[in-house]
Amino acid sequence: MSSSDHAHHHAPGPGEPTLAHHFDTQDQQNQAVRLGMWLFLGTEVLLFAGLFLGYTVYRNFYHEAFHEASRHLSLFLGTTNTIVLITSSLTVALALWAVQQGKNKLAAALLVFTILCAFGFLGIKSLEYAEKFREGALPGKWYHFSEITAPGANLYYTIYFLMTGLHAFHVIVGMCVLIWVLKGVVKGRFSPKNDVAVELGALYWHLVDLVWIFLFPLLYLI
Amino acid sequence: MANETKSESAHGEKGHGGHGIGKYIAVWVALLCFTGLTVYTGHEDLGAINLPLAVTIATIKATLVVLFFMHMIDTPTANRIVFVVSIVFAIVLIIGVFGDLWTRNEMTLPSAAPSTLGPEIQVSGPGESPVPVHHE
Repeated sequence: MSSSDHAHHHAPGPGEPTLAHHFDTQDQQNQAVRLGMWLFLGTEVLLFAGLFLGYTVYRNFYHEAFHEASRHLSLFLGTTNTIVLITSSLTVALALWAVQQGKNKLAAALLVFTILCAFGFLGIKSLEYAEKFREGALPGKWYHFSEITAPGANLYYTIYFLMTGLHAFHVIVGMCVLIWVLKGVVKGRFSPKNDVAVELGALYWHLVDLVWIFLFPLLYLI
Repeated sequence: MANETKSESAHGEKGHGGHGIGKYIAVWVALLCFTGLTVYTGHEDLGAINLPLAVTIATIKATLVVLFFMHMIDTPTANRIVFVVSIVFAIVLIIGVFGDLWTRNEMTLPSAAPSTLGPEIQVSGPGESPVPVHHE
């Protein structure tokens, strides 16, 4: 790659990327940025791995309680949320594609849809939470749900609230990232030449989907 | 690094659009089908096979998302190594703990019958943890 790209430093116009002085070329910078993002996603995988590990151990100890408690969650709401997240993953992938084609209006519409899906997911999740609070199916010492008395049921709800709560937090963060991306798309800051930020935002959103792909069967279907 | 730069520029020019929207839609449909399948098999409650089957379906779904939505299929090797290694380490962690769970002495399990030798274990209320009760 020739280094002529960075020979003349000028302020980037709309839709043009900035090149940090410690990179030779735009490609090199994009490469480093992507690697950094994948590293970050790797740490996210390990964060959730620790929690899945806790799940594994307690499910093994309190098999019956986990089975009963999981059957008590709303399969309908859980499945709906799965479809919502999978669909939002599709639309964010399409939004990136649209930005790369220079179709910013289409990209903006797809991002708005994705963000609405995120709101929808959180809305459905809060319905589920409200129901659990009403019943007293709560973590640890707050557990007072009379329908499931098998020992360890409170641990199921500890794990349920911790993992879905942390996941919901990721949904909120991802939503904020996507709103920022949407702003850039609308203002024309992102373009086929300057799409890396959109790509990273989409990657984060896909991770949110990935975590849910494992959470859903392990919490609702065991 | 040179290879990566090359593949990057090729990918940068063509964009992901080279693959077309069709592939994304196909992956989405596949994800929905697998979701339907896992809900069906989970709901039917197939016993011991339930959990391995659910995890297998989830892994297939996750692989589809990572490969196509996240473009791991055409991302440089360095990125793949970083992400795949973190997954491998997560699996090592979980397998290591299975080693513990499978080789436990019965007595160390929370579900173990109360020992007649030690302090009596009594469940004091619905859902509460067992509380050791000492005889005076």
